[in-house]
Amino acid sequence: MSSQVIIEIEKLTKTFKNCNEPAVNDISFCINQNEIFGLLGPNGAGKTTTISILCGLFPPSGGKVLIDGKNLNNQLAAIKPIIGIVPQDIALYPTLSARENLEFYGHMYGLNGKHLKQSIDEWLEKLGLQDAGKRQVSTYSGGMKRRVNLIAGILHKPKILFLDEPTVGVDVQSRNVIIDHLKDINKEGTTIIYTSHHMEEAEHFCTRVSIIDHGKILTQGTPAQLIQNNPGCVNLEHVFLHLTNRKLRD
Amino acid sequence: MINKLFATVRKETLLLLRDKVGLSILFIMPVVLILVMTLIQDSAFKSINEKGIPIIFINNDKDSLGNAIENGLRNNDLCSFSDSINGKPATIETAHKAIGEGKFLLGIVIPNGATAAIRKNVTVLVEETINGESTAVEKLNQLQDSVEIIIMIDPVAKKSFISSVTSNLHEFISEIKTKIMFQTFADQIAEVIPDKNNTPNNSYQKTQIITYKEVYASNSQDKIVPNAVQHNVPAWTIFAMFFIAIPLSGSIIKEKTEGSVFRLHTMPTPYLLLVNGKIIVYVLVCLIQFLLMLAVGQYLLPMLGLPALVLGNSLMGIFILALATSFAATGYGVMVGTLASTEHQAAIMGSLSILLLSALGGIWVPSYVMPELMRNISAYSPLNWSLEGFYKLFLRGGGIKDIAWDALKLFLFFFVSMAISYLSNHKKRTI
Repeated sequence: MSSQVIIEIEKLTKTFKNCNEPAVNDISFCINQNEIFGLLGPNGAGKTTTISILCGLFPPSGGKVLIDGKNLNNQLAAIKPIIGIVPQDIALYPTLSARENLEFYGHMYGLNGKHLKQSIDEWLEKLGLQDAGKRQVSTYSGGMKRRVNLIAGILHKPKILFLDEPTVGVDVQSRNVIIDHLKDINKEGTTIIYTSHHMEEAEHFCTRVSIIDHGKILTQGTPAQLIQNNPGCVNLEHVFLHLTNRKLRD
Repeated sequence: MINKLFATVRKETLLLLRDKVGLSILFIMPVVLILVMTLIQDSAFKSINEKGIPIIFINNDKDSLGNAIENGLRNNDLCSFSDSINGKPATIETAHKAIGEGKFLLGIVIPNGATAAIRKNVTVLVEETINGESTAVEKLNQLQDSVEIIIMIDPVAKKSFISSVTSNLHEFISEIKTKIMFQTFADQIAEVIPDKNNTPNNSYQKTQIITYKEVYASNSQDKIVPNAVQHNVPAWTIFAMFFIAIPLSGSIIKEKTEGSVFRLHTMPTPYLLLVNGKIIVYVLVCLIQFLLMLAVGQYLLPMLGLPALVLGNSLMGIFILALATSFAATGYGVMVGTLASTEHQAAIMGSLSILLLSALGGIWVPSYVMPELMRNISAYSPLNWSLEGFYKLFLRGGGIKDIAWDALKLFLFFFVSMAISYLSNHKKRTI
């Protein structure tokens, strides 16, 4: 394993019970330290399944995953503290305030006392939520919820951050704020694995992307390389549609 | 680790405090339930006691038997005596109609010549005994059957209630019949044996050979009198404590549907620690519920004219059993929340199963009146273990030793529920 590689995936397969087709089918790739790696694909391509396996949410049916040199199958407890996740759905308690939610999740990551409080204050301020911090999350707009959802995943300064469509359903202002701060986190040393349907966002945000469909990796490279390697394509969206075709997906 | 546990407890407490519906299920519902059920049962008992059972009486005999029964019924507090309907003397037909309309619960018809028939029977018996005829007793039995007292019953009345009332009536009527028979017998003997020194007197009428004294087999130093409060407070408290499964399972399902569980499973925090936070909070809630219900039994019910709850001899026994019940109820809630996939499913699964377990456990109907099969099944309901335990403490004056097995079963139920939850959660995550 190269010293730069932080995630190494080898022949990863996941077939759910009562399903004939594997959701993830024998995929292999590596993610380097400090990358912003985009995992792109249409609905049902296997992006969320891959991220869920990498987070230890459920075990793979086959294959091998090394995260920061640790085997996912038997060293999950050692992997969990160094990862953070920002799930696609808002994973917050609606009747708790943003601050109460963050205090709880911070404690679950092992943060305590002043350090936790400072970290919460800092992030609420950065993402423009300092005044709303004491209000119940149920009263928030979609964009505000997304921002709190993001903070809950990065509060403990994870080494690896998984982002499953972190900007879905938010306005341009919130999206820009989120993306800007994710870039800052990345600069501070966090490796980001990111999924999205926003091809334009992915093109500008990711240092490298992998396009996945039907559980298989179709192509991989920097956005510029992919555009260059697919004649007639002027942006990542064209590459995406060219490789995954225009047929509607379930 | 302790910080994580405190954080989980704090989070659960805040979630619960902000769940108004959940709180009302936990605290208001059981208080209302205890008040309503106890008042209904107590007032039903009182209304029969105060007004008496409405009885229509038709005395066609107009002799000793009819008159004695009439006097007995008139002077009995348990009866509300009538011999007329709408100002007219009752007949079998009008009484039948009035009972059918629910105006009376019972009707008693003493046939014409009933006393004469008894006297005739005894006369025949005495004569045939003295003359040495062996068939006298047989004849007497045949003749006795000819006196037929009709008891009409409102079909709406509960069978158990009617059985108890009619059995008392049978006993009362038999006693009067016997007295008349003895009186007649004594008169007959006096005629046959004119020697006044040997004439049997009527001392049997004044002497009660067998007397009855009801003593409750309780070990309590306090005078525990079984009543609606002693029965209902523990029963409905247990029911309410198990109803914690609804908000608790709802909170587990919410975490699944709102996505928190997704994040929690990726965190460096064991599943059991997260669940333990819930268990601590909900066990405490159960204990608070229990204290509240005891307070209702001891202070609120007496204000409403009901007797106060008597706690028995063992406060430690009460605490142990309440704690065991709290753990059992909480474990059950965690199990329902883990097995169910949606809040709707958890609410139905939780409420129906608790209703079923409470019915089987003797909360609604005492298990001793159940058929044998149901009684055997009842012994497997955790609500029954708890109820039996509290009856031992509140009604039989028992102590820790008496409830130890019940408490142990409840703790075991908690561990089994938790094991099922853990395995189910593990299985769901290995899809």
